[in-house]
Amino acid sequence: MKKLTSVLLASALLGAALAGCGGNNNSDNTVATNAPAGNAAKDTANSGSGATPKVGVAIYKFDDTFMTGVRNAIDAAAKGIATVDIVDSQNSQPTQNDKVDLFVTKKYDGMLINPVDRTAAGVIIDKAKAADIPVVFLNREPLPEDMKKWDKVYYVGAKAEESGTMSGQLIVDYWKAHPEADKNGDGVLQYVMLKGEPGHQDAELRTTYSIQAIEDAGIKVEKLAEDTAMWDRVKGQEKMAAFLGSHGDKIEAVLANNDDMALGAIEALKAQGYFTGDKYMPVVGVDATAPAVQALQDGTMLGTVLNDANNQGKAAITVAALLAKGETPTKDNVGFDITDNQYVWISYKKITKDNVADAQ
Amino acid sequence: MDVKKAQSFITQNAIYIVLVILIMGIIVYEPSFMSINTLRDVLIQSSTRVIIALGVAFILITAGTDLSAGRVVGFTAVISASMLQIPDYSRRFFPDLPQVHVLLPIVIAIIAGLLCGLINGIIVSKLNVPPFIATLGTMLIVYGLNSLYFDMDPNQSQPIGGLRPDFTRIGSGFIGSGQYSIPYIVIIAIVVAAIVWVLFNKTKLGKNMYAIGGNMQAAKVSGINVSKNLIYIYAIAGALYGLAGVLEAARTGGATNNYGNMYELDAIAACVVGGVSTTGGIGTVPGVLVGVIIFTLINYGLTFIGISPYYQLIIKGLIIIAAVSFDMRKYSSKK
Repeated sequence: MKKLTSVLLASALLGAALAGCGGNNNSDNTVATNAPAGNAAKDTANSGSGATPKVGVAIYKFDDTFMTGVRNAIDAAAKGIATVDIVDSQNSQPTQNDKVDLFVTKKYDGMLINPVDRTAAGVIIDKAKAADIPVVFLNREPLPEDMKKWDKVYYVGAKAEESGTMSGQLIVDYWKAHPEADKNGDGVLQYVMLKGEPGHQDAELRTTYSIQAIEDAGIKVEKLAEDTAMWDRVKGQEKMAAFLGSHGDKIEAVLANNDDMALGAIEALKAQGYFTGDKYMPVVGVDATAPAVQALQDGTMLGTVLNDANNQGKAAITVAALLAKGETPTKDNVGFDITDNQYVWISYKKITKDNVADAQ
Repeated sequence: MDVKKAQSFITQNAIYIVLVILIMGIIVYEPSFMSINTLRDVLIQSSTRVIIALGVAFILITAGTDLSAGRVVGFTAVISASMLQIPDYSRRFFPDLPQVHVLLPIVIAIIAGLLCGLINGIIVSKLNVPPFIATLGTMLIVYGLNSLYFDMDPNQSQPIGGLRPDFTRIGSGFIGSGQYSIPYIVIIAIVVAAIVWVLFNKTKLGKNMYAIGGNMQAAKVSGINVSKNLIYIYAIAGALYGLAGVLEAARTGGATNNYGNMYELDAIAACVVGGVSTTGGIGTVPGVLVGVIIFTLINYGLTFIGISPYYQLIIKGLIIIAAVSFDMRKYSSKK
C-alpha cells in the first residue's frame, strides 16, 4: 500500500513537471519566432523565394538583464530581414558550442553568437569557416588574432572602457558645477568604489577608467574604500553601510560598476539621512535599468551610463542578415560605422535627470 | 582537574574564542568599529539572515539539509515586489494591477514559500529522497519557475523597482529616532525568533523534531509520525524563507531573480557556527542567533577595515571548516 502511494506521488510529480514543460515549450516557441512577420517570412522562404535568411542566435545566458534587452531588440529588428532561432547557452561554453554545431547541422545561413567566453570564439570561427556560414559576434569581443582568421567574421559591441570613462565624467561634471561637493575643502575628491565580480573584465575596466577620467579632468582623487558587491543590490547596500560606518561624511562620491549596486548604496545612504534636506551624495552607476531611471527622476542617483541594447541588437542582426544573404555590410546598408572592415562599435550614452527619456 | 576543566571549556567554546579574537583584532585595527551605528547595521543585516537560518535550523536538526532556501527567498522576493509597485512607475510588472492592500502580496509570497517547503517535505518523507538531493532538485526547479515568472511580458527579466513606500517602510523604517531607534526589520526578526523558540521548546512538534534528528528509527518505533512531522517542518521552514524574501525586497527596494543566490550556504554556515549539529538532533535558537550575528559582524568588520574580498572568502571558508571540526570534536568527545 505504501509503495503504491509513493509510486502515485512520484508519477504525480513527473506529471506536474511535464505539464510545466508544456508551458515552457509554448514560451520557447514565442522566443524562437517571436515576430509574426518572421513566421510569415519563414513560410515564404520555404516556398522558394529565399528572401529571408535563417540566422541562428546563441545568447550567453537568458537571465542576464542586459542581454535580455539585446535579445528583444534582435527579435524586433529581425522582422522582415531574417528568420531568427534564438537559443540559451546557459552560461556554459560547451553548451554554446553544441548549439553552434546544431546551427551548422541545420544549415542556417548565418550565425549571431554572444560568446560565454571570449577566447572560445576561435573554435566557433573555425567551425563557421569550414561550413561557410558567416558569423557575427556580439557583446564579448573575440581576440584580434581570431577575428583575422576569416573575412566573414564581424563583431558588434561597445567599448567596455567607455562605460567607465563616462561614469567618471558624470562625477567630473557634478564636481565642477558644485563647489560644495568638496565637503572638507581640501581640493581632493574622496570616493568609495563598489566593484562587480572580481576579475570580471567589465568590473576591472569600469573601475580603472572611471577614476582615470576623473584624474584626466585635473581632479585629485583619494580612494577611501573599494570592495566587491558582486553586481548585487543587497551586497551593494551592505558594503555601503560598512563604508559609511568607517568613513562617514568623509565620503564625497560613490562610484558603482552597475546600477544595482548603486541603488543598494542609495538605500544605505538614505538610512543615514542622505537625500533629505541638504544632505546629498553623488552616486553613479552603469546600465540605465528601469529602477535606476526611477532613481534619477527621484534625484537620488546622479547619473548612469546606458549600454545601448537596442542599437547593439539592431546592428548585430542587420549585419548577420546581410552576411547571410551574401552581401557585404557597409555604413549605408547597416546604418552604423564599420571599423577595420570587421567591427561595429556602438557607443554608450551618459544618462542624467535631464535626458532620462533616452533610457526609457 | 582545573587544567582538565579549562581544556574542556576551550574545546566546548573554541569557535567562539577564535571569533572573539578576530573581532577584537578588527577593533584594535580600527577602534571606531566599536559604535552604536556598527551594532545597528549588523543587527539590520542579520535580520533576514536570522529568519532564513532559523528555517534551515529546523531542517538541520532533523538531520536534513535544505539547498533550496536561497532560491525560495529569491522567488518570494520577486513575487512580493511584482505586486507592490507604485502606480506611476514606468515599467510595472503588472501594468493594470490596482493598489492592493500591502499585506496581500506579502501573504501570497509567504504561502508560495510554504508550498515550496511543503513539496520539499513530501519529496523527502514520502518519496524517501535524501534531503540533499531532494532540495538540490527543488533549488533548480524554484529558480527555473522564478526566472519564467521574472521573464514574463512586459517585464522580460528587468530588475523590479519602484516599490511602494508603504512596503519599503517595513524594511527601512524604525521606531524612535536617532541612534537608539529600533528598525522594524529587527523587531520582526526578534518576534520570529521568539515564535521559533516556542516551537522548538514548548511544542510536541519541537520535541518530535529533536527526536527525529537524534535517531529516526527510535523516533519511528516510539510512535512518532515521522513523515507528517517532517512535512510540517519543511513547510514551516519554507514559510520562513518566504518571509525573508519579502523582507529582502522591502529592505533593498527592489528584486531580481538572482536574489537569495547561495543564501542557504550562509545560513547553514551560521547555524553550524552557532552550534547546530549537521548530524542532527542538536541546536538551539540562541545558538543560531549568535551564529548569524557573528557571521554578519565578521562580514561587516572585514569590509569596514577594507580587507580585500579575496581574503574575506578565505577567512570565511576557514571559519566554516573550523566550526565543523570543533563541532565534530565536541560531539565525539561526548560519545
